[in-house]
Amino acid sequence: MQEKAEIRSKYWLAVFLVAAYTIPFGVGIYTDNVFFDLQWLADLTTVILNGIMQGGVYAMFAVGLTLIFGVMRIINVAHGELVMLGAYLTWMFFFYVGVDPLLALFITLPIAFCIGLLIQKLLLNAVVGGPELTPLLITFGLGLTIIHIVEAIFTTDYRTIPYAPDAFQLTETIAVSRSKIISFVMAAFISISVFVFLKLHRLGKAIRATAQNADVAMVCGINIFHIYMITSGLAAALAVAGGALVSIQFGFNPETGVLYTLQAFAIIVLGGRGHYIGALIGGVMLAVIESLISFMIPNGTAMVEIASYGMMVFVLLIRPRGLMGPKEN
Amino acid sequence: MAEAEIALDIQNLKKYFGGIKAVDGCTFQVPKGQISGLIGPNGSGKTTTFNLLTGVLEADSGDVFYNGENIVGLRPYEIFNRGISRTFQITRIYREMTVFENMLSASSMKIPVREARERAEQLMEFVTLTKLRGEYGGNLSYGQQKLLEFARALMTDPDLILLDEPAAGVNRTLLNNLLEHIHHLQEDQGKTVLIVEHDMNVIMNHCEKVFVLDYGVKIAEGLPEDIQKNEDVIEAYFGHR
Ligand SMILES: Nc1ncnc2c1ncn2[C@@H]1O[C@H](COP(=O)(O)OP(=O)(O)OP(=O)(O)O)[C@@H](O)[C@H]1O
Ligand SMILES: [Mg+2]
Repeated sequence: MQEKAEIRSKYWLAVFLVAAYTIPFGVGIYTDNVFFDLQWLADLTTVILNGIMQGGVYAMFAVGLTLIFGVMRIINVAHGELVMLGAYLTWMFFFYVGVDPLLALFITLPIAFCIGLLIQKLLLNAVVGGPELTPLLITFGLGLTIIHIVEAIFTTDYRTIPYAPDAFQLTETIAVSRSKIISFVMAAFISISVFVFLKLHRLGKAIRATAQNADVAMVCGINIFHIYMITSGLAAALAVAGGALVSIQFGFNPETGVLYTLQAFAIIVLGGRGHYIGALIGGVMLAVIESLISFMIPNGTAMVEIASYGMMVFVLLIRPRGLMGPKEN
Repeated sequence: MAEAEIALDIQNLKKYFGGIKAVDGCTFQVPKGQISGLIGPNGSGKTTTFNLLTGVLEADSGDVFYNGENIVGLRPYEIFNRGISRTFQITRIYREMTVFENMLSASSMKIPVREARERAEQLMEFVTLTKLRGEYGGNLSYGQQKLLEFARALMTDPDLILLDEPAAGVNRTLLNNLLEHIHHLQEDQGKTVLIVEHDMNVIMNHCEKVFVLDYGVKIAEGLPEDIQKNEDVIEAYFGHR
């Protein structure tokens, strides 16, 4: 019986994803935005490539969120604010000190790690394992606090970082923006490093052990609060790295973090809560849908957020496990 | 028989869950280098006592002296590092890790990886799980999980081993195996073992001393054969309550 429900939910998830990918085409055809000529196909390829590149960055900061959830069962709604904070940190180093945005990672990531540690130690350690609402409200408050502090310092103006704006010509007609490629490569590098760390390093194994069963980890010599702090530090570093990489592609203001939180949630719901690889796949899938929407639907750029909302709501309804998440107990 | 040295001195230990007095002023001394039993009807506070001894739960009051040090208030990992290890009533292993990874997970960060691996290999051999070293924890039978949990509890060579119902859900052959291992630990390595168990055969045939809990209070202690005849104990188990 359960087996059947499991198969059915998988089937419906597939149907939903196919629909999600075809609807933009449908709307595009209906509104005469789709032309079946070579130029259009080249544009489409460009758009999909850009989406995949973008997805790498989404995936990276979503992994941070999924890590926290996996290890502590905490839903951190301030994650996007850390992404935004990462963008501002990068911007500060770029404008005031003149540090290259990517080199700035060497400074911003350690800072981010410490911020994560502190958040965990001061705000979250006391409420792990308690009622789920408490950490949710704490991170909600934290997010708002970060927004207001950044607003007070930098105002609500949009900021941008001019960086590698020229495009890389793949063929004569297909070009991908260079900053996107750089971002993707960096994101892939960081995500893989963290993955390898979790898989192979002793501390990484201790983190996975705590995620799988904190009660066991506790009586097997693991200081779980220490693990929680490292996890939060890592998650914050991933978020800030994400912020650095989006800051060289898009403008940002103190409010943009909200959208990143939303995207990260959509991604981990799709990928399966707490699942690392799931988050990576989910990130790329979401970003590609977003690019298709903005490419084919008139005024689509204003509608990309719908992709995240829709994804989150429908996947939760159809198959709460997402693509690769563990079975609900 | 000379009075044995004391491994664990539990003094007036208390833990309430709201109105439930799970452990209510429990006092007893676990002799060193022996296998002791902790018994009592369902809900009498045995598992809670283990949780207090290992720091999983914080005691409301009372003291636990281990090697002369009061370990109440220490974190679970600190207690573990002092040489107290345990298993759970319902096995808790890492289901998404292999048998070997499960073993390594319980090794101290302070010892070199190579040493930890060697020890894991030895212990897997000891509980006959070597063939399953690459199998995921979730794929083991319940009995095998019990063995794994037991072996994992020995990774750091603890001096005191707390076993919460090791016999439950384990078939005869495995159980005999397990008991043999436990005796080996006690006789050859001088370990102290405290077993919570409902299976009276295990308690009667393998424990030197037995403590009986009822409503979170120790109501009797002594040799297994004396405990069997103790009126309070019979009352606790069978009497009208
Ligand atoms: N975390 C908890 N929260 C609330 N009540 C608890 C908790 N843990 C145990 N209890 C209660 O405390 C009492 C003692 O439980 P405990 O698990 O220690 O008993 P036990 O002797 O191990 O029983 P069993 O033989 O069934 O394993 C029971 O009434 C139980 O319901
Ligand atoms: Mg119990």
